[in-house]
Amino acid sequence: MSRTILISGGSRGLGAELVTGFRAQGCNVASFSRSKTAFIEAMEGSADFHWQAIDGRDHEAVHGFVNDTASRFGRVDVLVNNTGIATDSVLPLMRPDDIIDMVDTNLTAALLLAQSCSRVMLRQASGCIVNISSVNAIRGHEGVAVYSATKAALDGFTRSLARELGPRNIRVNSVAPGYFETDMVKGMEPAQMDRIARRTPLRRLARIEEIAAAVHFLASEQASFITGQTLVVDGGITC
Amino acid sequence: MLNPCSAADIQTIVHARIRAILEDRGDENIVIAGDDKLNATLGLTSMDLALLVSELEAELGVDPFAKLVSVTAVRSVDDLVAAYRLAFAPAAATPDDGLAEAARRAASRRARMTGG
Ligand SMILES: NC(=O)c1ccc[n+]([C@@H]2O[C@H](COP(=O)([O-])OP(=O)(O)OC[C@H]3O[C@@H](n4cnc5c(N)ncnc54)[C@H](OP(=O)(O)O)[C@@H]3O)[C@@H](O)[C@H]2O)c1
Repeated sequence: MSRTILISGGSRGLGAELVTGFRAQGCNVASFSRSKTAFIEAMEGSADFHWQAIDGRDHEAVHGFVNDTASRFGRVDVLVNNTGIATDSVLPLMRPDDIIDMVDTNLTAALLLAQSCSRVMLRQASGCIVNISSVNAIRGHEGVAVYSATKAALDGFTRSLARELGPRNIRVNSVAPGYFETDMVKGMEPAQMDRIARRTPLRRLARIEEIAAAVHFLASEQASFITGQTLVVDGGITC
Repeated sequence: MLNPCSAADIQTIVHARIRAILEDRGDENIVIAGDDKLNATLGLTSMDLALLVSELEAELGVDPFAKLVSVTAVRSVDDLVAAYRLAFAPAAATPDDGLAEAARRAASRRARMTGG
């Protein structure tokens, strides 16, 4: 039977890379994001793909989407909590609304999506959750304090949820990527990217498929005894 | 999904789901009474309760614990049945039903724990 993978924020960036990769493995894929991209349009109408325009902060809509996905494909085997936003600003200068928005998008939305999926997984007595964290959860950097807080919280969530759900055969892990090129980092100066590459033992930024590979591994049978862990994929920048 | 659900249907469905979980655990000759405590009498853990709520949501299409009722107010089988009845007929709920009493008990427990 085909596995069903639910990926939040699958319209571009890492989410889109994961949608492509899981479909290539023969999985059913469900995803949502606020806006539709050409990437999503090209897949519309495929029996193995389900996408809806949803703001991840709309918890009722997200809960409905999870239940729809479970009815349509019969199950939810893997959740990839991928949606995330980042802004580069020091805390004293951030607008309170932007702080709240980032916590809602990166953290609260992820917790509630995991809650909805965990209910389906409990009924199946199996499942796997991969939360997308960041190296910023592990090392402090100026300008990303709130982003770091949300990602570190996701890692803590990962560990405790792994304990809660492990006895029900549900694994929970996170992937903490270093920088890779997507829309999220397009505002960074080339000099800043060069500096990151110089500080990275492997002397470059990650390729998006290298981050996706870690997610595929954790979602696979090869990782069947791995839970509660954060897999850092950063070319060694945090070592 | 059953909709709308009669009070008797809800009780039958909730009892059946509890029985199924206890049977899965290997219990035999299960008799469920309304005043049985979910944890103290039947031995259901919080994850058993999570599974129960998830199965009932799939069957009945409602989750009273999303907004209407705090799950901490639910201690007995009757409390659970009352929560689902409330989800189907929130307007019909009276302040004197078992759940309201259970909610009051939970609130006073919380107040004691927080010293409030
Ligand atoms: N890029 C990096 O260098 C890097 C490094 C470490 C960690 N990460 C993490 O990796 C994950 C993916 O990042 P990325 O670089 O691929 O990001 P991206 O290219 O900006 O894509 C983000 C995705 O999330 C969706 N999204 C954002 N806000 C949403 C909301 N409120 N509701 C629903 N969907 C929403 C976006 O679609 P819409 O905007 O249309 O909603 C899009 O599909 C994020 O969690 C990020 O924090 C990225």
